[in-house]
Amino acid sequence: MKYYLARRLLLLVPVLAGVSIIIFMVLHLAPGDPAEIMLGSQATQEDLVRLRADLGLNEPLHVQYLRWVGHVARGDLGRSLWMKRPVLGEVLTRFRATLVLTATALVLSTTIGIALGVTAAMRPNSMLDRLSAVASLFGASMPSFWLGIVLMVIFALQLGWLPASGMYAPHSGGDARDLLTHLILPAVTLAAASVTIVARLTRSAMLDTLAQDYVRTARAKGVSSGAVVLRHALGNALVPIVTVVGVQAGYLLGGAVLTETVFAWPGVGTLMVQGILARDFPLVQGCVLVVALSFVLVNLAVDLLYAWLDPRIRYE
Amino acid sequence: MRQTGTAAFVIVLTVLAFVASAGAQPAGTLLVGLVAEPVNLDPAQVTDLNSNRVGRRIAETLVTFPDESTQIVPGLAESWTISKDGLKYTFKLRRNVRFHDGSPFDAEAVKFSIERQILAEHPANKLGKYPFANYFFGNVKAVEVVDPHTVEFILKEPRASFLAVLTAGAASIVSPTAVKKLGADYPLSPVGTGPFKFASWDRGQRVVLEKNAGYWKHPVNVDRVIYRPIVEDQARLTELLTGALDLVVGAPPDAVAQLENNPRVTLVKQVGAHVWYLGINNQKKPFDDKRVRQALNYAVNKDAIVRDVLKGTGSPSRGPVLPNTWGADPALKAYPYDPERAKKLLAEAGYPSGFSTTLWVPESGSGMQSPVAMSTVIQSNLKAVGVNVTLQTMEWGAYLAKLRSKEQDLFALSWMAGNEDPDMVMYPLLHSTQWTPNGPNRALYKNDKYDELLHQARLTTDQKKRAELYREAQRILVDDAPWIFVDHEIQTAAFAKRVQGFKLHPSFDLRVETISLK
Repeated sequence: MKYYLARRLLLLVPVLAGVSIIIFMVLHLAPGDPAEIMLGSQATQEDLVRLRADLGLNEPLHVQYLRWVGHVARGDLGRSLWMKRPVLGEVLTRFRATLVLTATALVLSTTIGIALGVTAAMRPNSMLDRLSAVASLFGASMPSFWLGIVLMVIFALQLGWLPASGMYAPHSGGDARDLLTHLILPAVTLAAASVTIVARLTRSAMLDTLAQDYVRTARAKGVSSGAVVLRHALGNALVPIVTVVGVQAGYLLGGAVLTETVFAWPGVGTLMVQGILARDFPLVQGCVLVVALSFVLVNLAVDLLYAWLDPRIRYE
Repeated sequence: MRQTGTAAFVIVLTVLAFVASAGAQPAGTLLVGLVAEPVNLDPAQVTDLNSNRVGRRIAETLVTFPDESTQIVPGLAESWTISKDGLKYTFKLRRNVRFHDGSPFDAEAVKFSIERQILAEHPANKLGKYPFANYFFGNVKAVEVVDPHTVEFILKEPRASFLAVLTAGAASIVSPTAVKKLGADYPLSPVGTGPFKFASWDRGQRVVLEKNAGYWKHPVNVDRVIYRPIVEDQARLTELLTGALDLVVGAPPDAVAQLENNPRVTLVKQVGAHVWYLGINNQKKPFDDKRVRQALNYAVNKDAIVRDVLKGTGSPSRGPVLPNTWGADPALKAYPYDPERAKKLLAEAGYPSGFSTTLWVPESGSGMQSPVAMSTVIQSNLKAVGVNVTLQTMEWGAYLAKLRSKEQDLFALSWMAGNEDPDMVMYPLLHSTQWTPNGPNRALYKNDKYDELLHQARLTTDQKKRAELYREAQRILVDDAPWIFVDHEIQTAAFAKRVQGFKLHPSFDLRVETISLK
């Protein structure tokens, strides 16, 4: 187990190196560079050449990349070309906001998704099951920016119950209650598509396990219906559910970009989009590194969770 | 099942009741919604509008604009004289002005603020990147301190628009003490002489400015300004309509009517020193024929674009210069929408059945308004006279890179001069020394008479004489039709009833220091 964990953690290094090389190439191969975008339509050739030299963009790509790697190895992610701020602090602050949003959305989508899935599986083809199938289709086909705006118009503009954007009230504010108020709309928006995926998968996993012999045996022995479903069936259906929840965690981290933009949530997603539009290489690299790292760690956590859920699974 | 449903419903209601937000705003605090977050707040390192809108509250320039126009008036300089040869500008500085950090504003500070951008060996030069240093101050040979309250700018060549250059954000005077102390971090907590002091910045959330109680020009009536970046239009408007923001700029065209009819807010409009044009490659066939370029101008229905696409947030243009400013020619005639005339001109030029061409359009970009929708209308207008246009849309960064190739046929672009001096738009965009990639003349327009008039206008410091030269040059332009002239942007802002005394500024600045809160 320890060996497995160490190996998985070591594997992080090539994974992150690969990701950073790909991102570096994609950014540098895309037309337009930071100097061009900073200077905008007023740029003269002379200014461009000077600014490119100032920004270190004239060196060969591999030199630029290796220089960046050298700094990263020493824990220095550089300074944003455009905001003039150190990248590390900036990315970590913004990532915290993304984490709050994503984690809330994940908890919402998992609990509601599993509850819906289990209920539907208990009475397959009932009214409730069909309703949840329709709701799932609806949830999965709604783009999050649209849903976000609709929720905003209803709950912020029409009813005035919730704030429309931001993470905290701009003045005073800052406590848990303030955060919670601001969190509801974006978290629900972000969770919507995931809920339906988790629900549909839970339903089919539950239907499979409910048809197993041991469930029939448990029922025959007179175990109460609730205990059969929750203890015997759900426990065994959890492995595929955990897999999909793990995938959803990654999806939510990525999907947060749109939701953050709609609700002006100060997360790493909006930062990354701004960085890409400005070709702010160090900033985008920093964001991607942090997001990739968290994605890999979530995957690792899911793998470890399997062993805990199903004692038959062992890692060598 | 019903019980669970009811329970869930009760829980949701309780949570909502618990969190339901109160709308009351603190007295004295003005909440402003921006379209995007400021990037940094060192005026010399800033290249975008939103950074300037905040940064100009903190640091000021030697010369500036009054609240309603872009004519030049004294700012941190009380007065100035220009030498006969137009090479020496001497400024008398305002006395008893202090930076927010307590250090005095003087001639040394002026010298420092400009020279750090243009002298590679200056100790503060390496603390930042100054993208527009050459564009604005490339013509400055030296900045000399005559005495603590007198400073001289020595130019390499005469340039009559130099005062207009000194109104640019990059010409802001910053506290040398603060720059030396903060080094590369100066753009994150700037220090100037302006009506507001920098207080704090939570990235992605808010920038807070506090009033400068000792502001030299006038008392400031608002204690604190909080700027919030909200990219999504609907979110920004919702915050305004629910009272969570006091002022928003940049209402999307589709929301203009809704805001005009809403009794809770006031919508204001102001045409800005900006021009949106469809550039034509003047060197390429068939556009090297003046009749073809004129035909394109007759073919496009600018009034319809302004009315239907921009919903009144644009004013049709007759040329590059904003009407009703000192350099504009009031007699200048706009090209009317006349497709028949266009067809006739095309036939005369040898294209009776039209031709096919390509129009490059950025998806978005500073000052680009609604580029794709506007270009689509232009495409269909041109089709009606037989010109088949293929639209190619590109991301802004890729677009700028592509425009350097000189391969363009037609391209959509805009220019925000930020002031009304005709030199600041007519020279860079249309003088033949400014051909891309050396300058922003991407239409590759060249007319010797026009070049000469613009050059003469730079050598003359008398504004009346300059105006005559520019008027003549504009008449040449309209006849030559190097672009399809489209519109000047009308800016919009909407604010709550408690906001008093706010005006939009033609320079696109956002002067919240004129506001008082009821």
